[in-house]
Amino acid sequence: MDATVLGAWVATGLTLLIFSFLYKDNPLFKLAEHLYVGVSVGYTIVKTYDTVIVHLVVKPIIENGEVALLIPVAIGMLMLARYVPKAAWMSRYAFAFIVGMGAGLAIPRTISSFILKQIEDTVRPLISMTGPDSLTFSMNLLNPASNLNALIILLGVGSVLFYFFFSIEHSGAGKAVARTGVIFLMISFGAGFGYTVMARMSLLIGRLTDLIEFSDASYGRPTVWLLIFVVAALFFLARRGHAQPPDTH
Amino acid sequence: MTFAERMLKIDRRIIFLVIGLCTLLPLLYPVGLPIKISSEVRGVYDHIESLPEHSVFLLSIDFDPASKPELYPQAIALLRHAFKKNLRVITMTLWVSGTGMADQLVTQVAKEMGKEYGQDYAFLGWSPGGPAVIINMGQDLSSAFPSDYSGRSTKDLPVLDGVRNLKDVTYMVSLGAGKPGVEEWYVFGKDKYKFEMGGGCTGVMAPGLYPLLRSGQINGLIGGLRGAAEYESLIDQKGKAVAGMDAQSATHVAIIVLVIMCNVFYFSLRHASRSQGHIG
Repeated sequence: MDATVLGAWVATGLTLLIFSFLYKDNPLFKLAEHLYVGVSVGYTIVKTYDTVIVHLVVKPIIENGEVALLIPVAIGMLMLARYVPKAAWMSRYAFAFIVGMGAGLAIPRTISSFILKQIEDTVRPLISMTGPDSLTFSMNLLNPASNLNALIILLGVGSVLFYFFFSIEHSGAGKAVARTGVIFLMISFGAGFGYTVMARMSLLIGRLTDLIEFSDASYGRPTVWLLIFVVAALFFLARRGHAQPPDTH
Repeated sequence: MTFAERMLKIDRRIIFLVIGLCTLLPLLYPVGLPIKISSEVRGVYDHIESLPEHSVFLLSIDFDPASKPELYPQAIALLRHAFKKNLRVITMTLWVSGTGMADQLVTQVAKEMGKEYGQDYAFLGWSPGGPAVIINMGQDLSSAFPSDYSGRSTKDLPVLDGVRNLKDVTYMVSLGAGKPGVEEWYVFGKDKYKFEMGGGCTGVMAPGLYPLLRSGQINGLIGGLRGAAEYESLIDQKGKAVAGMDAQSATHVAIIVLVIMCNVFYFSLRHASRSQGHIG
């Protein structure tokens, strides 16, 4: 059997087994779920072993004599000391190295990229100078750089920050500002949720597109045959569930 | 039980069926709804379009098969565009679970566009470390990837002639489904080594990346299947993303209708119970 055809049958079967959960939880879904986890972990282990151990450690040391690589290997091996209770303390050196290096690399870069650059973008001028004596206020909502959008962002950032400032009671004028912050937060959550729905529907579209493609005769119509099989199996499982009284022990 | 009560307690499997049909029918019988090109997708397209021939284009395929429906069409469209412009295409991944898929993707598009491995493009594969790989590439590319995915020394690949580190990359796009992805490429790559960069991401991630776009930290963003469809329209090679747009629109309409109906039934029930309370 051609590998493409075999792949089509496997992909179709697993898709339909996973979709069977929409009817109700069942052993077919569990089978596909466990296969997914097993295959993912197995693939990751094999690729990691091949790339890291074979190509980045063993080959360079043996073929090119890069003995300096033994230093990171030794630090990495210290991690395994966690499995030996008496020597578990040694793993702390490896963790200290990772945490120290990770924090050292990440903190300055993150501050620069996400805090300073974003503050710089938030405090844009609310009115633009178009000449030596003329000032303009652009109202175009569709232009992210317009003055109106700069004002909206300023309002949003200010009110949301105030909403999370708990040292002052949110009453009177403060309540209005905090409420404005909540509105901005709700719009943000709504946009996020809308994009999430779009993303999940895209995944469904992807699977259905494949199922339609694999219903073709050139693949042996796996979608049709496996759909019949899954429906029959679900029917059989439902009948067996009704026939067997629940175990009360 | 009133109609509104029955509708609010409807079996969720009926809703699944409605959504399924709204997705399936437009895929079987497409109507070809128009696709409007957004400025963020055009940003990536225009930049690639402006690059001279043989510029170095780095595409980081930072996703695995779980995000394939959204990001695979984006990658195909970007590679087709880059190959059409005769750019030197370097591809890689920061996701170990996406290595095989990325190799298949690059090989498939290169074959379709008649490109030669090593001469016109290369797939470097995966290297462990996430952000550390980006930093390493910024210092010395051949140190981060001593060999490509097929085991050939990267120093011997003609496509990498003159490319010592990330400073020699003309344009870079990360197609990310999470971490490491677009943000890591910006933080540890572009911000430090100063190359121009665009991004592509799943729909879930898009709202979180818009601040980077607005501040000019990335010059374009392809968001989800919709972004892929826009890019396919721009390069005039309509594929799976454009085909899925009718279904996407239909499901969105179905969900909006369901949300409105639920609210109508909920408020009518609340109104009825309050009226009964007044009478009682």
